[in-house]
Order: sequence, then structure tokens, then C-alpha cells
Amino acid sequence: MSARNVLEVEDLEVHYGLGRRRRRVLDGVSLSVANGEAVGLIGETGSGKTTLARAVLGLVPFSAGRVVIDGQDVSQAKARQWRALRRRGVVQYVFQDPLRSLDPDLTAGQSIVEPLLIQGISSGEADARARAFLDRVRLDPELLGRLPGELSGGQRQRVAVARALVTEPKLIMLDEPVSALDSANRVQVMEILKGLRQAGVGLVFISHDLGSVAGLTDRIAVLYQGELVEVGPTRKIINAPQHVYTRLLIDSAPTLRSAAAKRAEREQLRALLNA
Amino acid sequence: MAFAAGRETGSTVAARPVAGALLSVRDVHIRDRGTDREIVHGISFDLAPGKAVGIVGESGSGKTLTCRAVLGILPDQLVVSAGSITLGGRDLATLSVKQWTEIRGSTISAVFQDPASYLNPSIPVGPQIAEVIRVKKKVGRREARDRVLELLRSVRLRGPESVYGQYAYELSGGMLQRVLIAAAIAADPKVLIADEATTALDVTVQAEILDLLAELRERTGLALVVVAHDLAVVAQVCDEVLVIREGDVVEHGTTEDVLYRPQHEYTQLLIAEHEQYGLERFLDAPREERA
Amino acid sequence: MIRRVLSQPTGRIAVGILSVIALLAIFGSVLAPQNPLTTSPAQLAPISASHWLGTDYLGRDTFSRLLAGSRASIVGAVEVAVIALFVGAIPGVLSVYLGRVFEWATLRLIDTLISLPFLLVAVAVTALLGNGITQALLVVGVLLAPAFYRVSRAASLSVASSQYVEAAQISGASPAWVVRRHVWSKVLPPIAVTMAYTVGAGFVVVSSLSFLGIGVEPPAATWGGLLSSDLSYLAYQPWAPVAPAVLIVVTVWACNLLADAIRDVSGQAGRAFSNRRPKRRRPLALPQGGA
Repeated sequence: MSARNVLEVEDLEVHYGLGRRRRRVLDGVSLSVANGEAVGLIGETGSGKTTLARAVLGLVPFSAGRVVIDGQDVSQAKARQWRALRRRGVVQYVFQDPLRSLDPDLTAGQSIVEPLLIQGISSGEADARARAFLDRVRLDPELLGRLPGELSGGQRQRVAVARALVTEPKLIMLDEPVSALDSANRVQVMEILKGLRQAGVGLVFISHDLGSVAGLTDRIAVLYQGELVEVGPTRKIINAPQHVYTRLLIDSAPTLRSAAAKRAEREQLRALLNA
Repeated sequence: MAFAAGRETGSTVAARPVAGALLSVRDVHIRDRGTDREIVHGISFDLAPGKAVGIVGESGSGKTLTCRAVLGILPDQLVVSAGSITLGGRDLATLSVKQWTEIRGSTISAVFQDPASYLNPSIPVGPQIAEVIRVKKKVGRREARDRVLELLRSVRLRGPESVYGQYAYELSGGMLQRVLIAAAIAADPKVLIADEATTALDVTVQAEILDLLAELRERTGLALVVVAHDLAVVAQVCDEVLVIREGDVVEHGTTEDVLYRPQHEYTQLLIAEHEQYGLERFLDAPREERA
Repeated sequence: MIRRVLSQPTGRIAVGILSVIALLAIFGSVLAPQNPLTTSPAQLAPISASHWLGTDYLGRDTFSRLLAGSRASIVGAVEVAVIALFVGAIPGVLSVYLGRVFEWATLRLIDTLISLPFLLVAVAVTALLGNGITQALLVVGVLLAPAFYRVSRAASLSVASSQYVEAAQISGASPAWVVRRHVWSKVLPPIAVTMAYTVGAGFVVVSSLSFLGIGVEPPAATWGGLLSSDLSYLAYQPWAPVAPAVLIVVTVWACNLLADAIRDVSGQAGRAFSNRRPKRRRPLALPQGGA
């Protein structure tokens, strides 16, 4: 297995706003993802987790730091270089809300093949390649002719995942992959993601809920107010969290039997955090 | 309004409400007059002061409709077709519009999902809560404002004076939900219904709100009805749990019974999912045992 | 899209009527049974076999005049709409991509245009620039541009900040690809709708102008001109003024009907008017204070 990391982020800083309103959204974040590794990026709304993903994808400019994708340093990349890198199909992204990330005027099939068409692949070939991924996401081929508005939430999510798979990327970032889904769909998508892991694709799960992705990740990175406060193997983070926020995160996760009992502890941790 | 229109069938033979219960829901059936389909097939529970009952179910299971029936805000084509709902000893089916207006807020109140949509975006949040107080308690502007600040403190909002003057868009989801809880308890209701109140919130914020509800319950004896699609959320706050699936109550018992001795396979499925995909799997040992 | 429009009954009626009108424009003068300019002693004659709509006060065949005038009126209206399209839609789309200054400048310009009263300005400008049809059409075209600006800007805004465009960009799409595949289908329907409405509006304005004597000089015929010149003889020979009036009304009505039909099939109703600034790619809003 290649020792190279599919993603390396070093001391990343992202600012937002001008002049007096300039705010630091990400402060010196460093993270690496090895080939085939699954990492969970956990943080609450406003922690910067989505910004980190967007910076890595080149959608948001960063003010300091280094980002290396599959060996290629993109820190100074301009639009044209980004396009060339993206066309290699190395990194993909699954948005949180498939209703917004799928063009409402394109059918599911058209959306799924788009990355391949952008690469210049002929439409017949693209179609054939895309179909190979359908059963990986458990999508019935007969749904391909439907518009996003004609699909259920779970089906839409799977279309979005299929679209991210067709270029056979080395790294897929998924933003809250199961948060918007109900129980049955959640299980199905989790199974699909497990399958991806087994296929050796590098995965980054972005979520506010540790519990929802713990079953899929090798490592967990905790982001709080723009800083990476703790990183480590999943099991260790959950059982021996060090940082106050990580501990609060673990204590806050709705577990069946122990949640009520931890109330006092949660109050203590909140007091510590806000001090 | 569904209640004022009365029930369609005669009252069914149902056990009399338990004495001392604040809220008594007895074998309530809800029917859609438009499609002539029954959506809720008989739900019963009692709520004593200071107690908390939880209702768990998927969307469409009927849990939200039950809440709406208790609040008297069922959509026009839905009616309580059988059973009874008693609040503070009064049968809700007999209430006039005026009586409903009176009890809403002062006897029973509610918070829902998506707090921002329940606030006027062009007025700061403080005056909106003050309005509730002035209408319900008939006090003057200054006193209302003081009470609002007190309420904001009681829901653990920091800097209540500045929150008072802020607009809904300036506040985070968790803060907004606290503001709405403050508004809901402003007139000192005896029962608070939280219908998916934490569904859209981050997990840490959800824990804060659930802890707040538990605290309010302890401090003021507020009775709670917590509705969620996550069994763990309900288990965290409630003494008694109902599991509802497609209009049928498939499980009903104390929290302990439901979690440790589930009878119905649907409940067992919910528990199994949690254990398979939730955090439980990774927790090596119960927290108390770790140093 | 054309097929879908024709599948609606309103679409069929509209296209039917407009096709007839279009034929009139093309073949009008050829189909006229008589020379529209030939005067005759049979002044204000009633309907007869040789004069299908009678004659006007100079003995000219009304029907022929009507047909001959069709081209000028119809071409005028279409020209106006085309001018409005280019003057409005191009800045509309560009305002989303060329930065805040350009956006602000065009918005204010458009606001100014909207506040100007059509006819007064058209009259004033032609008084300044000379009484020619081209000047008048130009002015009216510019005055009607704001609708196109708003519609194309709104469509571009909604696409520019959309996630599906970002998804395409993540896959390496060039701006040209994004426009071809995603932007076009969103911008075209509202523009088509506005085009239909504007042709109708253009008709009204051009007819009004020629009614007032601006634009086409008599004795050349336009519908508005016919209306004005023959109005004084309404009591004696109603067909002369009534016929063009009816034609104007029917044509404008058909244009509006067509616009409605296009709008109905493309589901873009009501999204035309928005001065929202696009969400440039900012990170999520941060919570204020404690959450």
C-alpha cells in the first residue's frame, strides 16, 4: 500500500471578512489522510469544519498554510490548475443536502455522468461506466430517468454519492451524509459507506455528531472554534478524550442508557469551556 | 377547528382518567376526513405533574398529530374521531375557542422544530416574549421586560440584556430554541410539549436543550411531553416512553422497561440500530467505572 | 419547450392567434385586395363586397389599410422587444459576475428607468431627436429593458450561488460548461416569458405612439395611426377605427396568453423580481455569544 497521504493539510488559516470585520475561521489546522483511511471531522456549526473541506477543494481561498492533494501542492494553484487537478477526478465531495446539490432540471442519470462528461469522456462510455456504480449505491437503474424532485430523500442522497464515485476518486469528502435521513435510509447509506471503505477509498466524514460516523472511521479529528483540538484513533478518542470539548462531545451524544446520568458532568464541562 | 367541531363517533368506553393526572389522553383516534383514513389508531397516556412522557416514532407515525390534537391545532380535515383528551380535569372536546385561547400558554404550551420560523424576523426577540407576558399576565411594559430578562436567565442564556434586543437572524439555533422555550414557559404552563424540538440542532446543543428541559422539570415541576424520532433523546429526559409506528402504539412502559425489556420487535430494532451504529459500540466500559 | 407549450390549451390558442398575426405581417400588403392608398369618392362607405370593412373618410379601403399596417405595427413591437432584451438581459447576467460596482451601477440605472413614464419620455425624446420610427422604437426598447434585467439577474443569481454549480466545479467544469449545462436552462424560460409579455407591451406602446402621431408618418398605415385618424368618424363609419383597436387588443391578449403558457410549463413563476445579493462563497455564519 502506498505510504503517501492522499491529503495533507498544514497550518491552514482561513479568514473571512475585510478590515475590522475580518475573522479567523480556521486557525492553524493540520491534518493528513492516508490512502484508504477514513477520518471523521467532527465539530459544531461554526467550528469551521465545512470551511476546511471547501478550502481543501479550492472553493474557498486560504490565507496561510499548505494543502497537498495526492502529492500535488495546491496552495498556490490558480483556477486553471485547479480545473486540471479536478479533472483528474482525485477528490470528490458529497454535499449535505442533495436537493440543493443536484440540478433540478437534470435527471439523476445526467447528474451522475456529469463528472465523466466534464473529463471529456464520450456520453456512451460515460453511461456505461456510471452504471457500474449503481449497485454499489443500491440505486435502481430505472430511477435514472427521474428528476431530483421525483426522488425520495434517500434516493437523492444515493444519486449524489454515485456522482462522487464515477471518477473513481482517491478521496471523497462527505458533509453530514446521514443527518437529514430517517432511520431506514440512514442504515442503508451507512452500509454503502462501509462498502466504500472496504474498497479502499479515502474518506472524510464531516459531522456534528460523533456517534453517527464513529462506526465508519479509523481516526477522529475534533474541530472547535476553528482549531483542531484533538486527533486520534476512534476508539481512543471516544474512551479517553483529552480536550474539554471532546469530552463534552462524547457526553452529549445521545446514548440509550447512559445519557441521563451524565448530566452533571456535561454541566461541568460546559462551565469549563465557557470560562 | 377540529375540536370545536366535536367528535364523529360517540365516546368509546374508556377507562376514566387517572386521578391526579394533569393530562389524560385516552384511546385517541385521529381520522382524516378528506381521505376517510384513520391515521392514529388509539393512543393513551397520562401525565402527572413533574413527570415526563416521551413519544418516539418516524415521520408520519402520528406523533406530531397527537401533539396537535392535545394543543387543539389539528388541521381542518383531521379530527379526533374517538377517545378523549382531558387537561386539568377538563375535556378538551368541550372547550370553546375562547377557553382554548385561555389555556394555551397558561396551562399547556409547546416548542417545535425550526425555532426561527416561530419568530417575527423584523422585531427583536425580547419584545416578542414580552408580548406573551403582557397578554397572559396583563402586566405593564416595564414589568414584562423584567420578567422576560428573568426568563432568559432561567433558560440559561448568557447576556440576557443583549439577547433581548437581538433579532432572530442574529441568534444561533440553540439560542433561538431557548428563546422559544422562554416564551413557552412565560405564562407558567403546567405542561410543555417539545415536538422534535432538538431535531435540527447540533448534538452538543441538543444535549444542552434536553438538559435544560430536565432542569426546568426539576426546578418548577413542569410536566413534559417529549416527541422525537430518536429513542435515546426520549430516554434521556423521560420516565415513560411510548413507541408509535404508523399510528399504532407498539410499546408503552417505563423508560427502563422499554430500554431493557422491549416487547415489540420494532422497539428492539430501534435499540439494535443504536447499538450497531451509535456510540455505545465504542464505549469500552460504563463511564462510572473509568477513573 | 415549444411542444410543452402547445400541449396546453392556452398555448395553442395563443400560438394560433399569433401565427395568424405573423402571417399578416409577412403577407399583409400582398393580400390586400385594394391599394391602401388609393382614395375614392366612396367615403365612409359601409361594409360591402368590394370593401370588406368599408372605407375611411378619404374613401380608402379600410381592410387593405389594416393589412398594410400590420407589418409596421408588428415589426415595431418585435423590434422593441428585441432591443429591450439586449439592453436588459446582458447587464442583468453580467451584474452577477462583474463585481459590486457594476452591480450597483446597473441596479440604480434600472431603477431610474423604471421610474420614467413611458409615453411622456418617448414623446419627449422624439421631440428632441426628430420624429422617426427608429428613434421612438429605440427609446421604448430601452424603457422596457428593466423587466429583462431583473429576470435574467434573478435567474443568474439563483444559479451562481447554487450547490449544483459548485458540484460541477469540483468535478473540474469550466465556466463555459457551467453556463451551457446549468445556467442556460434556468435563464431561458423566464426570458421567454418576459419576451412574450414585452412584445405585447411593445404593441401597446407603439400603437399609442402612432396614435399620437409619433413614428410612422401618415398616410402610411399602422394600426395606431388608423385608430387615431379614423376615430373622429366613429359615428359614421365605426369599422375604420374599431377594427384596428380590436386587432391591437387581440394581439396583446394573445401575447400575454403565450407568456402565461410558457410560464406555466416552465414552473418559473414569480421569481423575476429580486435584488438579492449573491452569496459569495462565505463560510457558515458563526454563532453569537454562547450557543
